[in-house]
Amino acid sequence: MAATTTTEPGKATATVGSRPRRPAWAILQQALQYALMVLLGLFCVVPFAWVALTAVDADGGPTVGLPAFTFDNFVRFFTDGATPRLFLNSVIVSFAATALNLACGVLGAYALSRYRFRGRRTFMFAILLIRVIPPPATIVALYLLMVKIQLDDSYFGLILVEASAALPITLWLLKGTIDAIPFELEEAAWLDGSSRFGAIGRIILPLVGPGLGAAAMLTFMAVWGDFLTPLVLLQSPDLYPLSIGLFRSFTAFNQVDWGVLAASAVVYMAPPAVLYLFLRRHLMRSSLGGAIKS
Amino acid sequence: MTTAKTSAARPTRPLQERAALPVLLGPSVLLIAVFVVAPAAYGIYLALTNTQLTGFAAQDPQFVGLENFRNLLGSTDFLASLGRTGEFVLWSAIIGQTVLGMLAALLLRQKWLRGKGLFGALMLLPMVVPEVVASLTWASVLSSEDGSTFNRLLGLFGSGAAAPLQEYPMTSVILINVWRGIAFAMIMFQAALEDVPDELLEASRMDGASALQVFRHITLPLIRGPVFLYLLLTTITTVGVFGLIYFLTQGGPGQETEITSVYIFQSAFKYSQIGLGSAASVILLILLTILGMTYARLAKVEV
Repeated sequence: MAATTTTEPGKATATVGSRPRRPAWAILQQALQYALMVLLGLFCVVPFAWVALTAVDADGGPTVGLPAFTFDNFVRFFTDGATPRLFLNSVIVSFAATALNLACGVLGAYALSRYRFRGRRTFMFAILLIRVIPPPATIVALYLLMVKIQLDDSYFGLILVEASAALPITLWLLKGTIDAIPFELEEAAWLDGSSRFGAIGRIILPLVGPGLGAAAMLTFMAVWGDFLTPLVLLQSPDLYPLSIGLFRSFTAFNQVDWGVLAASAVVYMAPPAVLYLFLRRHLMRSSLGGAIKS
Repeated sequence: MTTAKTSAARPTRPLQERAALPVLLGPSVLLIAVFVVAPAAYGIYLALTNTQLTGFAAQDPQFVGLENFRNLLGSTDFLASLGRTGEFVLWSAIIGQTVLGMLAALLLRQKWLRGKGLFGALMLLPMVVPEVVASLTWASVLSSEDGSTFNRLLGLFGSGAAAPLQEYPMTSVILINVWRGIAFAMIMFQAALEDVPDELLEASRMDGASALQVFRHITLPLIRGPVFLYLLLTTITTVGVFGLIYFLTQGGPGQETEITSVYIFQSAFKYSQIGLGSAASVILLILLTILGMTYARLAKVEV
């Protein structure tokens, strides 16, 4: 974040420099801005206090307070009945969907970048436009469609839907990355005797890394965090991912185990957080930067 | 688009192995066609039928023309849900997120401000956590128990315990959605503000303009395009908010937080009226399209 906010001879210096008559006002202004920053920061963080404290609290409730420190909630999460299954389901679906998404995405983006064919630009803009439709607006038809082709209530169906939903973004991101790889490199590989697919493997894949990282992260986070699609498509508790499991145990009135619930939330947040730390720089640079500028 | 420009500049080479194209693009096209485009098209068809999940009409759905639309437009429940969607979008996205996100972005531009790195990272937290965690977190914050975070804060001001999710449900979900969306606004505005030259701001301050005047007359006109783009994106996202509200209130108490996305879900899956739910989706999409085109017109971007 700090890197993006450089070069500012800015308002403060201007205020202090140009108005030496009113230093008190300038100081007050600075103090106000600090206060605003602290308030905004607290607003964003304080709600998480409950999760953090209750996850390590032996007798947690929906209240905040000093915890009776224990890791028991985590132990129970990973050993008790159905909860490890939730985690496993989330992992299976998210990894499979991300892998499928990236595999199709790389090949498709390569075609969109290197081939000239009729309808290419129309296709690019059409997939971008259709992404704009809010998911709740198509979920009803999607459910019925999945029932008709007998892919509802299965890993496979959910994986296909999730991979497809994130595909437009992946295609756009990777097409941009591949566009930036000089075509000459590939031609050189062809001259050396590589086939077209061989050249993709030897030249494109190693160079498409940053874009692939960003696409992987966006897809994984979207699938991992999705609530509506699994809620509608899955009926068997055996298949529930963490999002649905958390929802079900939260709505099981009177028997909510708040400690385990908070621990589940921490576990649920961990993989995206780790991934985010790893790929943050890539994400900021290639996807957001590129998307906003274009 | 920059990408299109560079590809046009490159001379098109005779590509051998033209046959590889279907292999490369085929999987993507197939997936998008079946799981993204087909549901959208199927939804429009379903909206014209009386399809149900269970019961007689589930076996043998009939084509009923525009009857679903007639029913919806005469239904106070549906119209009220549209109104609530409007209220939700206006207060949480267009006002709350935009104002706070802009303030955060402006703060991040101040050179003398210490702790910007930490501040920026903290602001991102609500956006990057999964929807369900955000909901669960706020369920506890706003819980009616004495020791919940919100009630403890109230206690600091000497006020008694409250149950915001029951007493002020709409205000609560609006607040929560503001919280979740500040970061996105901040990122968008931060990128836009980078294109505003510092010399211009400095010069106008020299001329005696107040910070507010500089923002109103210099900064804002310069970032008009990105601001409207942001408003368009956030409106679309906010209309599509479902998990947050469904998790916390399931549209209740009563129907006080039943925005249209929740209405669609309830009518299709709770009352098994697939046709009606699909018609509601179509109406929502039409309204969204009109709104989007208005933004585009206001931003003076050609579509």
